[in-house]
Amino acid sequence: MSQPKNSYLVPTFATLSAIGFGVTLWLIYEYAPLDRVLFFNQKIFYFHVAHAFLLFVAVGVCGFGSVAFLKTRKPKWDDLALASAEVAVAFGAVVLITGSIWGKAAWDIWWSWEKRLTMSLLLWLTLVGYVLVRRFAGASADRLAAMLAVFGTVGVPFVYFMVDRSDRHPQSGAEGVVAKSQGEIKIVMWLCVATFLCWFLTLLIARIQSVRAEREVRELRERAMDTGVLQ
Amino acid sequence: MKLLVVLVCMLVPALALAQPSGSASGSGSSAGSGSSAPEPAPAPPPTPEPPKADAVALRKICTDAMNADPTFATKIVQLADEGAAKLRLQADQEQHQKAAAAIAKNQKHVILAYAAMWIVAAAFVMFLWRRQQALKIEIAQLKSDLDAATKEGK
Repeated sequence: MSQPKNSYLVPTFATLSAIGFGVTLWLIYEYAPLDRVLFFNQKIFYFHVAHAFLLFVAVGVCGFGSVAFLKTRKPKWDDLALASAEVAVAFGAVVLITGSIWGKAAWDIWWSWEKRLTMSLLLWLTLVGYVLVRRFAGASADRLAAMLAVFGTVGVPFVYFMVDRSDRHPQSGAEGVVAKSQGEIKIVMWLCVATFLCWFLTLLIARIQSVRAEREVRELRERAMDTGVLQ
Repeated sequence: MKLLVVLVCMLVPALALAQPSGSASGSGSSAGSGSSAPEPAPAPPPTPEPPKADAVALRKICTDAMNADPTFATKIVQLADEGAAKLRLQADQEQHQKAAAAIAKNQKHVILAYAAMWIVAAAFVMFLWRRQQALKIEIAQLKSDLDAATKEGK
């Protein structure tokens, strides 16, 4: 396997993430104030919201890569879309699990079929569908999956804005808890977003390298079959 | 004999002085009692012992004193109510503080969420690492096979 270009990026972002995890964990426990309603349970907010933001970023990157691939048919865009979709599945799983635990702590229920939660689940299932199509749909899987990624990307604004005032889930947008958060909460929240952005980039770049290695294996197999090494 | 007379002369006035006033006045000699010595102060009369009151009697005295004040009973009840209310409030506050502390220190959900996040991350990293290792081995194997085939072909 050839040494990938920019091989210093993964260790750099991984180191930044590790430092960020330590610092933000300390800030969450020691610096950020206790919420008046949820008390200590509110601290789930810091990594739940950060993961949700990066889920949207990952889906956006996947959609962008898919559109670029559909337009240019260059494999590098397909690699970006596939890697991003798999990272988005991981981040989406964290969002759904931590959100569910937060729901149990705040409302004493694990799940509620509200618009935001249902749309988040549908977005995550779309991404899971993308990964499954890539794995099992055969030769034309890249184009089929790219269309699915575009469909999923269109769903992101719906997930973000689809919260009613009657819903239990906190509001988003200008009236949302993130926009209204102040002081220490705001500082810690954005530091968490920065840390998880580094983590997202670590996983994304590592997965892109892995996808390129898979492509290299496919090419070597074809050559081996052409030369009769493989049957 | 002379000595006897002298002794009698000395003893008689001494005995006269030694007599109590009553007996002196009773004797009719006014000359000796009025001017020779002051009359001693009368002894104080003995204090009468207080009647020994038993508990029942004391209680009755108390009850009578309390009943004499018409607002006394109301005040006592009011005081007791205030005391009980204060105790109830204190107990409620302690209970609330304990509950708030328990909620504030409840880290279960936060730890659960953080653990879930790390389990997902660890699973993804493990998947990446294993995939990468498998790919490295496969690429090395294919390259060596292709090199061997090329050499054989030459």
